[in-house]
Order: sequence, then C-alpha cells, then structure tokens
Amino acid sequence: MAEIILDKVSKSFGSVRVINEVSLTIQSGEFVVFLGPSGSGKSTLLRMIAGLETIDDGRLLIGGKESQTLPPGQRNVAMVFQNYALYPHMTVRDNMAFGLRNIKMAAPEVERRVQDAARMLEMDALLDRRPSELSGGQRQRVAIGRAIVKEPAAFLFDEPLSNLDAALRVRTRVELAELHQRMNSTMIYVTHDQTEAMTMSDRIVILNDCRIEQIGTPMEVYTRPASRFVAGFIGSPSMNFLKGSYKDGAMTLLDGSRIAARVAVPEADTYELGIRPEAVKVCEGEGDTKGQVKVVEHLGERTLVHVHLSDGSAIVAQDGGRSQVQPGDEVALRFDISELHLFDSSGKAWHAE
Amino acid sequence: MLRNTRRETLVALVLIAPFLAIYGLTFVYPTVAMVNLSFTDAPLIGPGQWVGFDNYTRLAGERRFDTAFWNTAYFVALSVIPGTFVAMVIALGVSRLTGRMQALVLALFFLPYILPVSVVYRLWDWTLNFQFGIAMYVFDIWGIERVPIFKTTTWFMPAVAFVTIWWTCGFSILLFLAGLRAIPAEIYEAASLDNTGRWTMFRRITWPLLWPVTALVTTIQLILQLKIFDQVYLFSTGGRPNDNLVLVYYIFQRAFVNNQGGRAAAIAVVLFLIVVIVSVLNFQLMRLAERRK
Repeated sequence: MAEIILDKVSKSFGSVRVINEVSLTIQSGEFVVFLGPSGSGKSTLLRMIAGLETIDDGRLLIGGKESQTLPPGQRNVAMVFQNYALYPHMTVRDNMAFGLRNIKMAAPEVERRVQDAARMLEMDALLDRRPSELSGGQRQRVAIGRAIVKEPAAFLFDEPLSNLDAALRVRTRVELAELHQRMNSTMIYVTHDQTEAMTMSDRIVILNDCRIEQIGTPMEVYTRPASRFVAGFIGSPSMNFLKGSYKDGAMTLLDGSRIAARVAVPEADTYELGIRPEAVKVCEGEGDTKGQVKVVEHLGERTLVHVHLSDGSAIVAQDGGRSQVQPGDEVALRFDISELHLFDSSGKAWHAE
Repeated sequence: MLRNTRRETLVALVLIAPFLAIYGLTFVYPTVAMVNLSFTDAPLIGPGQWVGFDNYTRLAGERRFDTAFWNTAYFVALSVIPGTFVAMVIALGVSRLTGRMQALVLALFFLPYILPVSVVYRLWDWTLNFQFGIAMYVFDIWGIERVPIFKTTTWFMPAVAFVTIWWTCGFSILLFLAGLRAIPAEIYEAASLDNTGRWTMFRRITWPLLWPVTALVTTIQLILQLKIFDQVYLFSTGGRPNDNLVLVYYIFQRAFVNNQGGRAAAIAVVLFLIVVIVSVLNFQLMRLAERRK
C-alpha cells in the first residue's frame, strides 16, 4: 500500500510526444481508473509507472521513493496484463512463485503466499495445471494471483477484462472491486470501457491527446464534466450537443427555440448546449422545443426517442418504459435546465447553477 | 450447394496423379529396388544372385564399415550439438538488433548457407591448406608450428565439423529467430516485473520456450549430418580417404570403386534405418523432456 505521485512526467517516442507533463497524486489505498480512447496515452502512462517504458522527464514517487530510474522489478508494483502474460511452460503454482523465488524468498513463505492467494481466488485445485489447460477466466485469476503473492505497493491493471466474454466480465468486475476492498491496496486500472471506470473506481482520470482532461469521482465527471470531450465520452447514450447563441440568461437554438440557462458564462457568444438524454423528456402540450420522431428504442424501463428538430439537428430524449410514441410523430420536448452545460469554442464547460 | 462426390474424387485423383507417378518412379520404386538389391551379389549394373542376409552379416566384421560407422558417429557428435548451440547463441545475438541492422547481420550469417559445397571446400582449402593457406601464415607469425589439418586423422573430423557448422548454421539461426519472435514481449515484461535477472531470464524463460525449436533443429541436423559425404570426399582428396571414411563415402566406394552394387545397397539400408531410428528417437526424447520440465 503506497501513495503514487507523478510529477510533470513526459514521454516521447522519437519526435512524437505521447505523454505531456502529466502530474497526478494517487492516494494510498485508492482505486484509480485511467480512462480514455485508444491512443490517448493511458496504457503508456501505466507502463511508465511499471517501469516498462522509460520516463523522459519528471519524477515518479512510489511510497515516497524516487522510482523513475528504477528497473521494473524494484518498484514494488505488480501488473496484470491484457493477455495475462502467464509463463506457458510453468504450472499455476510456479507462475505465482516465480517472482518470489527470484528474490530468494524462503520456500515455506513462498508456499504460504501461494496457498493464501489460491484460496482467496478459489483456485486451489488448479495449482498443478499449466496455463494451456485453463479457461480464459481461470487464466485471469492466475494473473491476478501472481500479482497478489508479491504483496506489492500498488497493483497495475492493463485492460485486464477485455479478453473475457460479457457475462464473465461483469462477474470479474465485481470480484475485482471486492478484492480491492479486502486488500485495501492502491490500484491503477487502465480501460477504455466507461462502465468499468464508473463502477469500480474511487476516482477516474480521463486522458485525451497525451494529457489529463479531468480527474474526479465517477459522479463528478458524469455530472460536472470539465470539457466537451469528457461530456461526450462519459455516459451512454452520450450527451446531446446543440449549437446556439447565449444572451441574457437564455440559449437560442438554431431552430429558434429559447432555453432558459442559468449559467455563469463570461460573455454573450455562440456556445454549444450539452444535455444528457435523461434530462430531455417527451412531454404533453408546449415544451421547450419540438421535433419529429425518427427512431424509437424500447429499453424496458425507459425508452430512447431519437428526434430531429426543425433545423435538422438530432437529439435523443427519454420517455417512460410504456411510451406510445411512434416514428413520424411530432413531439414536444422539455429540458431539465438544472442539468444544462454550455461549452465554448475551446471545449471548456460551464454548468447550470 | 449439392456436391457430386464421385466426380470430386475423380478430379482429386487426376490432380494428384502426376505427383504420385513421379513419387513412385523416383522414390518408391528405387527404394524397393535397393532393398531387393541388398539381398543379392549384383554388381553396380546388371542382376545378381540371391544371397539372403550375407551382405548384412559380412558388415559385422568388416574393418572399413567399422571405421565408417564410428567416424560418422564422431562427426555427428562434433557437428549436431555444437552446431545447434552456436546457432542459438548467434540467433540470441541477432534478435537483439533491430531493423536494417538485423537484416544485414542475418544476411551475413546466412550467406555461407547458399554456397555450393565446392565453393566451401575451395574457401577453406585456401584458408587451412598446409602449404599456402592464409591461416598457416598466421600460425607462422605467432610462432606456432604448421599443422597439415586435412591430412591428419586427429584434426580431420573436427575441422570438417567446424566447416560444416560454418556452412549450415545459417538455416538453424533462421529457425531459432522465428522461435524467438514467437515468444510474446509481454512475457518478458511480466518476467522483468518479477525481478528476473538476465541469466534466469534465459534459463527459465527463453530456453524452455525455445525447446520445441531446439528439438526441431537437432532433428534436422541429425538427419543431415548422418548423411555426410561431400565435405569428407572433397577435403580428403590427396589425403587418407580410408581413415576418414564415413557411411555414405563407404557406400560410394563399394558401389562405384569396387563395383559391388549388392553390398553397397546393404550399407545404404543400414544407414537408412539408423537415420530413421536416431531421428525419431531424438525427437520423441526431446518432447518427453519438454513435458517433464
């Protein structure tokens, strides 16, 4: 268990900068997810912490110890790889014990740790098997077991669930969350899956274009996204964006409708209005705007209604589970103005008060 | 789609017929004929009398067969395992290079493999010849006495084994490189997080994962080197062919020098059986060792 501090770390591959002066403090015992699209640098950042990629500039402190120049084995971190990276020629037991034997740990202690980890992950019966004799989920457990036995300062996960099928992924997600609660150790988890990020993490670090867009709890990044990128990336279905101009406490959309917006933007200008589908309701009578229904998606407890406004811009609204709306209908839409966001041309966000 | 299986079988037969005909004519028939021949006292050309197992029983007490057998065994011992070892070491080195540098160095190591044996012989004769070989001038400079390498029984086999390794290891290097490339980089990353030192990395990760390729390379080498002839024939011209005799050379002597087709065939059958038994045994033993590891 240890605090991890990144202080203005940078990394280039040749002339291409992939991590640009990233600073971040991860508390001891915290579960942090690095979330971002592919190419955002999230895996590179994790590998820099692990020591698998060099840190060109800046400092890395793991448990207060300067670690940016240490070899991977001496950083006291354990990593679970996307493809598990188990040693195919060793049994499960040897896979887990390998790292401990390398540091000349006494055999009884090695055996105790392996047994403990096997019991915790319910794979006592698998200890003498080879990785080729295991299913994907079992291999995943071995990879986690190999990390646990080291009793590291921090666990690093590099998209560990992406090779599992959907049902197993959900189950393993819960197990990982339980594991974190039980071990109470620092964990850094890289994923491009926002569900994983939202459900497991204490804090999410959203990366885009080699830098951090926002750091916050799952609900913070969901309700108060710092930028248009975060607003669009988090949430499914994603946030609606409508162009318009702001003046005197109201947004005028391109179809002419006026939406009251209590947002403290510095000046009147053209902005993009952002609102999540659950804050746009299909309503009776006069709404804030209206449009024609194109597609209706029944999800059971709710219904997503895809509407085209009169200027042609598309918006997704939400209706109750037993919605009677049909494609082709003209519907009125009401906006929950307490959940409005405005984004300026640089992507910076202002939230409704 | 409906398929006419009878018609498909017919087409298949027509397509493989040319291969079958050539295979039968140039491999199956000669092999059967050779085994037949080995039970007769036929000369090189023309038929002979059936003599049963005489040709085989005579081999047991023959001094030249004895020399040929042990020389071949000695040569295989000198070339197969050292050759495999050298190829693995070079492949490990080459795999550390990248891009064009790797391609260039690999090409340099592979170059000897494409040379015909006559060129290899000329090259090494120029180098190691007792009178004018350049190595001898180096010996002179260092004050070492000149050695007639290809004229002394002690040096002949080791020298031929050395030349053979130099000549053929390019191909083994390629196989080892392919094996090394098949090991995922993630495994090495996991191992580096597991505090694996350089030697442990080789002994516990690279070496076991290269084991299947090693089994393949030694088996290929065994089959190849048991059939050694060209190098021995060329390097012993003007030397002492009877002391440097190997099995294929002995077949050649019996058939083309002594005009004894039947006896030559008997030796060929024995060599054929040795190759089959040794290579199958080697491959199976190595697979067994892999499973027990």
